[in-house]
Amino acid sequence: MATAEASVADVRGHPIVRRASLIRVIEAVIGASIFLVLLQILLNFSLLDPEFWRRYGGSFETGIGTTLRFVAIILPLSAVLGFFLGWLRISRFRSLSWPVAVYVDFFRGIPPIVIVIYASIFGAALLQARFTGKDLAWNVAAVALALHSAAYQSEIFRAGFQSVPRGQIEAAQALGMRPTQAMYNVVLPQALRLSLPPLGNEFAVVIKDTSLLAAIGTLDLFGVSQDFIQAVFLQPGASVYWLLTMWTAVALVYFAMTTAVTQVLLFLERKFHVRGLEGVSV
Amino acid sequence: MGSLEDLRRQRTRTFDTIAAVVLTIGIVGVLLEVLVGRYGLNWTYIASAWPTYLRGAWVTFYVTTVSYIVGMGIGFIIGWARAARVSVRKPGAQGAAVFGVKYTLRRMGDGYVAAIRGTPLFVQIVFVSSVLVIRFSSLDPNQLALIAGLVALTANTGGYQSEIFRAGIQTVHTGQVEAARAIGFSRWKAMRHVVLPQALRLVIPPLTNEYIGLLKASSLLLVIGIVELTEIGRREAFFQGKPFESFAIVTGLYLLITVPVSKIVEYIERRLRVPGLGIQAAPTTRV
Amino acid sequence: MIRVEDVHKYFGTLHVLRGISLDVSKGEALVIIGPSGSGKSTLLRCINLLVEPDAGRVFIDGVHVNRHDINREWVRQQVGMVFQSFNLFTHLTALENVMLGPIRVKGVSREQAEDKAKQLLARVGLAAKANAYPAELSGGQQQRVAIARALAMDPKAMLFDEPTSALDPEYIREVLDAMTALARDGMTMIVVTHEMGFASNVAKRIVFMDGGVILEEGHPQEIFEHPKQERTRAFVSKILR
Repeated sequence: MATAEASVADVRGHPIVRRASLIRVIEAVIGASIFLVLLQILLNFSLLDPEFWRRYGGSFETGIGTTLRFVAIILPLSAVLGFFLGWLRISRFRSLSWPVAVYVDFFRGIPPIVIVIYASIFGAALLQARFTGKDLAWNVAAVALALHSAAYQSEIFRAGFQSVPRGQIEAAQALGMRPTQAMYNVVLPQALRLSLPPLGNEFAVVIKDTSLLAAIGTLDLFGVSQDFIQAVFLQPGASVYWLLTMWTAVALVYFAMTTAVTQVLLFLERKFHVRGLEGVSV
Repeated sequence: MGSLEDLRRQRTRTFDTIAAVVLTIGIVGVLLEVLVGRYGLNWTYIASAWPTYLRGAWVTFYVTTVSYIVGMGIGFIIGWARAARVSVRKPGAQGAAVFGVKYTLRRMGDGYVAAIRGTPLFVQIVFVSSVLVIRFSSLDPNQLALIAGLVALTANTGGYQSEIFRAGIQTVHTGQVEAARAIGFSRWKAMRHVVLPQALRLVIPPLTNEYIGLLKASSLLLVIGIVELTEIGRREAFFQGKPFESFAIVTGLYLLITVPVSKIVEYIERRLRVPGLGIQAAPTTRV
Repeated sequence: MIRVEDVHKYFGTLHVLRGISLDVSKGEALVIIGPSGSGKSTLLRCINLLVEPDAGRVFIDGVHVNRHDINREWVRQQVGMVFQSFNLFTHLTALENVMLGPIRVKGVSREQAEDKAKQLLARVGLAAKANAYPAELSGGQQQRVAIARALAMDPKAMLFDEPTSALDPEYIREVLDAMTALARDGMTMIVVTHEMGFASNVAKRIVFMDGGVILEEGHPQEIFEHPKQERTRAFVSKILR
């Protein structure tokens, strides 16, 4: 993330958050606009080509809708699972923490696209008896992506739990709290706050990962765009420069989504911030 | 030594460990049974198709390593540029110009990293590929795809590595340059003899993780037709009708590299941990 | 009030407590001194069952508490503990820290808990800091909140584990004053500390522990000026400035 540059901030030693973030936003918008203009000049395409948007616009909207739908499925699923797995991971019972460790190592060790491809093959094959529908493969792959992200999120939550000083748990016990009470009243409020910033990054990754579903034919934003490529070369009056327009637009949409998600979580973190809670790092 | 309480605790611990091993192997076994058990693994196929997969693995390795090394150069330069603290503006028109240039460069670096981190690798790859298709339409498509893939991966890892280098330099930088200069080092010498040696040691774990991340990310090059390991697996699964075997081999090969390396990095980080010194939260290439 | 009979504790093969026996009567303030590693903290934790004794018996107000069928949470409500590193809950204000125990453990209503908490904070001199977070308080202030937090549970006795060892010197006085006032009010307490001034003023009895056993016991004057054992003398001379 861009560091606040206001020299006044450095002299005082503390960033003046409000002013700096407003400056940053303005900088970013101006910078991005200049960059886009330069890009279009350099590569000789136009982002606002009306003929292109007339043909592509519909797919664009559908694609964004599908992507958002998958994001809405995968994010909560992975967060809940990741939280639960992170909790198990710090259990003093090896019979609970070892299987989770193996799970995490497996899902973090292979590329997500491998998970998507094989989940669609196996999922469809195994579940075909019970479920039907062409969306089946896509949904199975989406769930598999959730499992994949849950592995990363479990590490985030684990770090959050472990960041709460052990002494406070002792103090809670000394007051007579049962282990569940100590967890709920002392550990969770702090662990969750500490986990927010890294979670924001992970959520951004989930949004980007949904593009992988296109590899099995899903018509998310990336998928519809790939389909449209056939149109570029087949339809009359199509310009090859539309490729650049399209991918730039697609990139901007993903960028907007990832920025939105990280900003929301940063906002939440600021809102619930308590002085003295140091950030966790994963 | 010990008491009843102690013995009981020891017994629970042993039981727990055995249960852990049994549970882990059991769950994995059940999953394998569900996936493979019905059909069994065709070992003849595996024995004969082995080289095909290795060829794919070689492409993966080759593409990753080349992009990683070039990306390191880019990442180091950009990281260093972004790690510099706010420079004091010297008076006069020349001072303003220098400040303006540094400011613009720094902002460009920020934008570059934000773009890489904020967009999917898939999009980055096809965008580069589109640019090349338009500009160099006469090139052989295979060569074009390879170049596009290398450029995209390099740009991607360059962005993430710049963050790693920036964090490393900034962690060490504070106060150390002043201390070094107080002893008599010039600013350049301080950088070279004090900051960089420490920073280099700090960045090794995250850089290793970045290599692993890039290795996994290279699988996305299949979208422009590069035949790396995952693509081989996909083809064998669909066109040779061997989904289980290809899954086993592909997953096995990836895990064979990623898991041991990650464990080694974890171990090194734990052993060499200096309290208060360490880059945390350095993001690595994720798709 | 608190009785410890021949308690032993092992950590692996390390024999940390080797048959400790102690009797603390109601209203008494007992001070335990000794070198680090002598088992003082472990002994305290055996009393409120944060650590389970391997042998021996612990009695609180006549009740034998180190049985495996005991309700540990009940035991810990009877005895309050103040830690060397304060261990305040960083996500809660001072007031909320003091209120949490009564609300969650004793089921007291929020209003009652709040009133009580305000009183207790006033008692330790921190009424003005009720809405401050631990990060905004000095070490001495944090420790006083910790004392109020322990008192909020209406314990029969209080355990202090080196309460001033982690404090900057200028804050030690205020915490010791709070503890002295508590002792004057008749609270039964066991204090592990190196603060000799406090020990002389407040304790009727001092216990010297070393290597997991009680080496010597007696009046503050006896222990400080005429220690009988050689090791006691060596230790006392090191900490008396």
